[in-house]
Amino acid sequence: MDPEPNQTGQPARPALAKARAIIDGLGGAANILEIEPCITRLRTEVRDGTLVSEPALKSAGVHGVSRRGAIVQVIVGPEADVLAQDIEDQLAQDEEDRF
Amino acid sequence: MALVVGSPVSGTVVGLAGVSDPVFATAMVGPGTAVDPVREPGHVCAPVAGILRKLKPHAFIVVTDDGHGVLVHLGIDTIRLDGDGFRLLATEGDWVAAGEPIVAWDPFSVAALGFSPVCPVIALDATNDALSDHSLRGQVGAGEPLFSWN
Repeated sequence: MDPEPNQTGQPARPALAKARAIIDGLGGAANILEIEPCITRLRTEVRDGTLVSEPALKSAGVHGVSRRGAIVQVIVGPEADVLAQDIEDQLAQDEEDRF
Repeated sequence: MALVVGSPVSGTVVGLAGVSDPVFATAMVGPGTAVDPVREPGHVCAPVAGILRKLKPHAFIVVTDDGHGVLVHLGIDTIRLDGDGFRLLATEGDWVAAGEPIVAWDPFSVAALGFSPVCPVIALDATNDALSDHSLRGQVGAGEPLFSWN
């Protein structure tokens, strides 16, 4: 099922746009191996660290990015677990769309 | 009136610059300070009164009635201990009094496992100039004032 746009044509939930922007900043769905929410940050493991764009993540509205090779921590504040769920949902959606 | 944030543990106030995690050291989630706890089994207590908005074994957030969120992190990188050695004494969503015990732990064991038991106490999304006294250093008892948030 497609996400329902509301009457103004915006995504139904702005948070989903942020989730989408973070996925893009991490180099896209295919580059994300794991996302784990901590209390104020998303601990992520990516396939290729060079595909991660800190400027893109920053413009997605995150507080900061801390990286060590393929381990990228995206600092998002206390909404980390909600955001991680939105990202997981988006990734599942992408997976469905591929088939 | 300024919100007085109390120390969650007894120990030595070392400040965020003394924290080995750059996310805290550079105040990415907010300014605050950090307390190096005494190395004996004890409780980590609520720094302010409010709703226990998040509770994990290694960290919790209390949000006051007027929306000030204070994060207490029990040691650095301690998410990797997977809750081992941490016992929850409260439930997420509870209203808690300032000084109420939230998690039981043993900083000595945490240190023995190779983790820093230093506890950052963070004023979430505050600006640095909204805090006062957060640059103070020295001994503090659990529940004693740590800094003020205007």
